[in-house]
Amino acid sequence: MFPTINWSLISLESFMTLTLVVLVIMDISLPKKTNRDWIGIVSFGSLFGLIAFWLTQHNLSGSTFGGMFVMDSLAWFFKGFFLLAMVFVFAMTQQYFKALGGRRNEFYLLLWLALIGMSLIASAADFLILFIALEIMTISLYVMTAYLKSDKLSLEAGMKYLILGALSSGFFLYGISFLYGVTHSTRFEAILGYVGTHAMNPMMLFGMVLVFSAVAFKIAAIPFHMWVPDVYQGAPTPVTALLSVGSKAAGFVMLMRLFFGIFAPWHQEWGLTLAVLSAITMTYGNLVAMFQTNIKRLLGYSSISHAGYLLMGAAAGTVLGASAMNFYLLGYLFTNLAAFLVIVLVFVAIKSDEIADYAGLSKRSGLLAATLLLALVSLAGMPPLAGFFGKFALLVSVIQSGYTWLALIAAVNIVISLYYYLLIVKRIYVDAPKVTSPILVSSSMKLLLSFAILGIIVIGIFQGPFLDAAITAVRGMAFGFIK
Amino acid sequence: MIALDHYLLLSGLVFAIGILGVTTSRSVLKILLSLELLLAASNLSFVAFSKFNGDYNGQLIVFFVILVAAAEVAIGLAIIVLMYQRLSTIQADELKEMKW
Repeated sequence: MFPTINWSLISLESFMTLTLVVLVIMDISLPKKTNRDWIGIVSFGSLFGLIAFWLTQHNLSGSTFGGMFVMDSLAWFFKGFFLLAMVFVFAMTQQYFKALGGRRNEFYLLLWLALIGMSLIASAADFLILFIALEIMTISLYVMTAYLKSDKLSLEAGMKYLILGALSSGFFLYGISFLYGVTHSTRFEAILGYVGTHAMNPMMLFGMVLVFSAVAFKIAAIPFHMWVPDVYQGAPTPVTALLSVGSKAAGFVMLMRLFFGIFAPWHQEWGLTLAVLSAITMTYGNLVAMFQTNIKRLLGYSSISHAGYLLMGAAAGTVLGASAMNFYLLGYLFTNLAAFLVIVLVFVAIKSDEIADYAGLSKRSGLLAATLLLALVSLAGMPPLAGFFGKFALLVSVIQSGYTWLALIAAVNIVISLYYYLLIVKRIYVDAPKVTSPILVSSSMKLLLSFAILGIIVIGIFQGPFLDAAITAVRGMAFGFIK
Repeated sequence: MIALDHYLLLSGLVFAIGILGVTTSRSVLKILLSLELLLAASNLSFVAFSKFNGDYNGQLIVFFVILVAAAEVAIGLAIIVLMYQRLSTIQADELKEMKW
């Protein structure tokens, strides 16, 4: 009667959920006065356990739950990506809330919930699962954004994120209803079957545009970028880091499933639109970033421009384009999280996110200044760091697909972005510090900073294995439909 | 005879009212209500498609959507209460600490 369920495919999510449930039950059943710092420690422990478990799953593939849940190379790649990002975010959370005081234990539980949502997004093979997974991730992010109850900025960011986020889920759902109405199914396989045998029609176009708008919201592409600067500035910094890497990557894995998967047969209809959006997004992000004085807000605009660069790979619509996106995201993970880790550690010491207060950082902490320097230069795309080769691969992919004009716009943008990244570098290395007291960094944070630096440099110099991983992820994608 | 088009027209109308409400209301509470209209419009079109396609998956989806909508409202109301405690107002244009 019931279809057999292959639990081994969904075991990673099951263990995450188990961890969350155990933590929640222990949190509510222990007496109120008990010290709850162990929640953070247990979270770290299970995260490393899950990463070890994830490594054993690299050959796993197949689908279960009647084809609604799929485990393939792309899902595997992104699950590892999210777990790795969470290591940094947990560490930031621990530092950030130790400095601010107050209750921080529920925060770990919300992070686990977001992680479960992101993992499910990577594996979704049905619009219903995709919608629910997206909401699991987004709703926990709403709560985390507004988490600093006494801080006006956090509250404002939470409210704005909630309104615009709910608006985008409304679009998403309405779009799904039209895709369902035309194809009679929400299963990706069935929709791909329809798209492969029919020409584009207005109802499908309507559904596609609405579904894309929700993806564009998650990856912060124009015209759905309005929330980014405010939410990035107001949210607690660990959440900003998660939004800029985890939530963005979740958006891109959705984009790949949709545009390299089910809508791929219609590439000619949407390729140019994505190329134009990509050009506008990167130019807007870079131009506005030049005038920012708050470093989190600046990285928000920089994150918009990186969404623009990444969209180039989607516009190309080839295996190379998709692999370049995967590779770029991997480099972006180390680069951006290194920058945010420095921002958290500096905030803990000086209680400010203003770029003006970063003056002379190199004289107060050499390691923090060096990490920020490497991260910013890699974001700008200087060789031999991770950001350079990623941009190079994206440029090659669009040129191969015939969008030479897009590659030229991207090249101009890279030069523009150098200006504002180097302005921060000048501030931390050349300007005189207002306060000269050194900023102390604990040894565990030194370890994590070195790990991030290592990632930025190794991915930049020895691209081979990482590029192979990125290409394997695309080649083994279920319902893939790319040349 | 009521055909599929009529249901879709109604759902499109509800969706449009929702968008209008989100973009023009000043009160955060009204914006939250309008956001619910968007989900209700989608539910209506799911059910209509489900009926006319002769496939019950669409009605199943509606149950999940109702669940998600409830979660979203719970979080939304919590943040609105927080906003009222901090700013003593629920007007959206009072949220102007950062450039919009």
